[in-house]
Amino acid sequence: MLLALGLWQALALLTSGTFILAGPVAVGGHILGNAPLLVRAALTTLQSAAIGFVIGNGLAIALAVIAISLPRLERLVSGLALVLFCLPFVATGPILRVIHGVGDGPQIALAALATYYTSYLCLMVGLRAAPASWLDLVRSYGRGRFTELVRVRAMAAMPYFIAGLQIGAPAAFLGAMIGEFTGAERGLGVLSIRAMRALDVDMSWAIATLAAVIATLAFWFFGWLGRRLDAAPPPLLIAPRQDATSPSAGAGLLAALVQLVAITALVLALWIGLMEAFGLSPFFAKRPQDVFAFLVLAPDAAANRSVLLDAFWQTLSLTVPGYFFGLVLGAGLAVVMVLRPAMAATALPVAIALRSIPIVTTAPLIVLALGRGAVGTITIVAVMIFFPTLAACLEGMRRTPRPVLDIFDSYAAPPWQRLVHAQLPAMAPAFFAAARMAVPASLLAATTAEWLATGTGMGSLMALTASTSNYALLWSAIVLLAVTASIAYGLVQLLERRILKTFASEQLAL
Amino acid sequence: MKPADTAGPPEVVCTDLGKVFSVGGKTVEAVQPFDLSIAAGQTTALVGPSGCGKSTLLRLVAGLDLPSSGTVRIGGDTPRAVSQRAGLAIAFQDAALLPWLTVRQNVALALKLARRPVEPDRVTALIDLVGLGPFADTRPAELSGGMRQRAAIARCLITEPGLLLLDEPFGAVDELTRARLNQDLPALWQKRGTTTLLVTHSITEAVTLSDRVIVLSPRPARVIADFAIDPDANDADFRAMVAAVTNALVLGGESVRTP
Repeated sequence: MLLALGLWQALALLTSGTFILAGPVAVGGHILGNAPLLVRAALTTLQSAAIGFVIGNGLAIALAVIAISLPRLERLVSGLALVLFCLPFVATGPILRVIHGVGDGPQIALAALATYYTSYLCLMVGLRAAPASWLDLVRSYGRGRFTELVRVRAMAAMPYFIAGLQIGAPAAFLGAMIGEFTGAERGLGVLSIRAMRALDVDMSWAIATLAAVIATLAFWFFGWLGRRLDAAPPPLLIAPRQDATSPSAGAGLLAALVQLVAITALVLALWIGLMEAFGLSPFFAKRPQDVFAFLVLAPDAAANRSVLLDAFWQTLSLTVPGYFFGLVLGAGLAVVMVLRPAMAATALPVAIALRSIPIVTTAPLIVLALGRGAVGTITIVAVMIFFPTLAACLEGMRRTPRPVLDIFDSYAAPPWQRLVHAQLPAMAPAFFAAARMAVPASLLAATTAEWLATGTGMGSLMALTASTSNYALLWSAIVLLAVTASIAYGLVQLLERRILKTFASEQLAL
Repeated sequence: MKPADTAGPPEVVCTDLGKVFSVGGKTVEAVQPFDLSIAAGQTTALVGPSGCGKSTLLRLVAGLDLPSSGTVRIGGDTPRAVSQRAGLAIAFQDAALLPWLTVRQNVALALKLARRPVEPDRVTALIDLVGLGPFADTRPAELSGGMRQRAAIARCLITEPGLLLLDEPFGAVDELTRARLNQDLPALWQKRGTTTLLVTHSITEAVTLSDRVIVLSPRPARVIADFAIDPDANDADFRAMVAAVTNALVLGGESVRTP
C-alpha cells in the first residue's frame, strides 16, 4: 500500500509539468481543500447510485423469479436480460436525459442497468444451487413451488446473490457517474467533466480517487455483509445452466433459431409497447420501423448506413484489440502470480479492490496521459477488462481442489506442471465468465472514451447525434451496438460451453 | 537419480515428530512429539478417533506438511527427496482425480509427474488389473465412488513406489464396495512388498489388511497401543484382535494390555 503510494508520488514528480499525473500529495491536498464541494457531489452521486442499485436488484429478482417459476420462459427472459444489458450507455444516457429532462432519472436508470445483470446471473445460479434433497423435503410435506422458492431456493441463493451485490455495487456507482456525464446538475460525474474541460489535473485525479475509494468501500461493505450473514462466497459467476436435457444437434439449432426469433419479437414488442404506453414523442423516441426506414427504405439510406458503419468499424478496431489485451494481460498476470505464490497472497486483495474501481471514470485521465490516438482508447478498454479478469482468474485457480495439489506435491512436481495440468483447467470457468461479462464492458469503455475524449467512432457519433437531434441515427447506433454485443456475448458463451464440456463438465452442471 | 524400486521398500523412521498448528492466533497441538519406526515392506495401520491427527501424521510422512519438531526419514532420505524420485505415492478419501482427464490419462499423469516415460501398455495393464478395463476412457464424473478409488489406487501404483500412503482410501464408499476393494486391491501392492502406511477408522479394515496396527489417542495424537497382527490367525484370533483394538480405542490409552 505504502509502496504503491510512493510509486504514484514518484511518477507524479517525474511527469510534473506535463499536466498528466497528480501525485497523492497533490490529490490529498486537493480533496481536503475542496472537501465541502467534493463531499456534496459524492453524496449526490451516491444517492442516485443507491436508488438505481435497489431498483436494478428488484428487477433482477423479478426476472429471476419469473425464469425459475416458469422454466419454459427462461431462455426468453435470459435473452431479454442480455439485450437490455448490452444497450450502450453512451446512447441510452442522452435519450433518457431528453425524456426525463434535468434531474436524477438518467443517473438512477443507468445505475440500475449497470447493476441488474450480474445480480440476475448470480441469482439464476444460486436459485438452482439448492440440493435436490432439500426440494424433496419441501415436497414431502405436500408444499408447492412457492414454499420451495421462499424456504429453500431463496436461502440457497443468498450467498450467490450477495456475491452479485458485491460486484454490482461499484457498477451502480459507475452507472450513476455516466448518467451524470449526460448533463446532470450536480454530482461527481459533473465535476469530472468540468475538471477535464478545464484541464484541472489535480481535480481530475481527486475525483477519480474519491470514486475509487467509494466503489471499493461499497465492494468491501457487501463482502463484510456476506461474512456477517455467514454466506460463504459461492464458487463462481458461472453461465446459468440451461435445460438439463441436451437436444440433438439439428433440433438444437432449430430451437436456437426459434428462441432468437422469439427474443427479437419480444424486444421489438417491448420497444414499441413502452414508447406507446408512455406516449413518447416520435421526434426523439424512434420506433423500430423508423430505424428500418432510416437504414433501408429512405432515399439516403446508403449514406446513412455508411456513416454508421464507418464509425462502427472505427470503434470495433479499437475495442477488439483492447478486449483481447485486457483478457490476456489479466489471465497472464494471474498465472505469473500463481507461479509466485507469495505474490498472489498480497495481490489477490489488491486486485479485488481494484476491480471495483469505476475504470471509465478514469478514462479522461488515461486519454490525458496517452493522447487521443488509438493507444489511449485501446488502453482504456484493456484496463477496464484487466482487473475483473485478473481477480476472476486468481479466484478460479485458488479453487483448484487441495487434494489434487497434494497429489502433485507428492511427486514434487514443478510449478509449471501444476499450472498446466491442474490450475489452468480449474481457472477456465472463471476466465470464460470474465470474458463473457467483458464484452459489453469493453464496448462501454471504448464508446465512453470516444465520447468524452477522442471524438471518433460510435461514442462520438452517438454524442453528436444526440446533440444535433439526429435521433434516427442515434437509435440505429443503439440497435447496432446492442446486437453486436449480444452476438459477441453469445459467441463467447458458445466457446465457453464447448471448452468447459471437456474441461469442467462438473462445473457446468452446477 | 536412482529408481525407487531397485533398493527395495524403505523403512520409515519418525524421530521426535510433532506438529503444532496455529489457528487464528491459538496454537493447536495436532501430533505430540513421538518416535515411530515402520519396518520395510510391512503394512501398518494407524487407527484413532476422528480428528486425532492421524491424517496430519500421514501428511508429515509424505512431506506435504513440514513438522514443527523432529524428522521423518524414508529409507534414510527426507520425504522431499523421496518425492522427487517418485518413491512414494499417496491416496486420499476423495480420489482427487482430475475431472477433465479420463481414467487412462489420470493414471498416465502420475508417470508424467514422476518424469518417467509413459508406457501405454503398462498403463492399460494396470487399469485392467484394478478392474477398470472397460472404463479406461471414461471421465471420473461417470464412475461410481468405488471405481474412482480403484483409479486413484492405479495412479498410485503405476510409478511402483516403495512407500504407499493411504488416507482413508475407501472411507467414502459403501460397506459392500469397501469390502470388495479390500479384497481385490491390497494384493496388488502386498505382492511387491511395498511399505504401506494406512490411515483408517475401520478397525476391521485395519486388522484385515495390516501386519501391525497402531492405535492413536484423541488429539494431540500419541501412540496408546501397538499390535502385531499374526497373518496366520484363525477366525477366533481375528475376532479377539478386533476386540483388543476396539478396547484400546475405547479406553483411550488407559491400562491397555497388548495380547
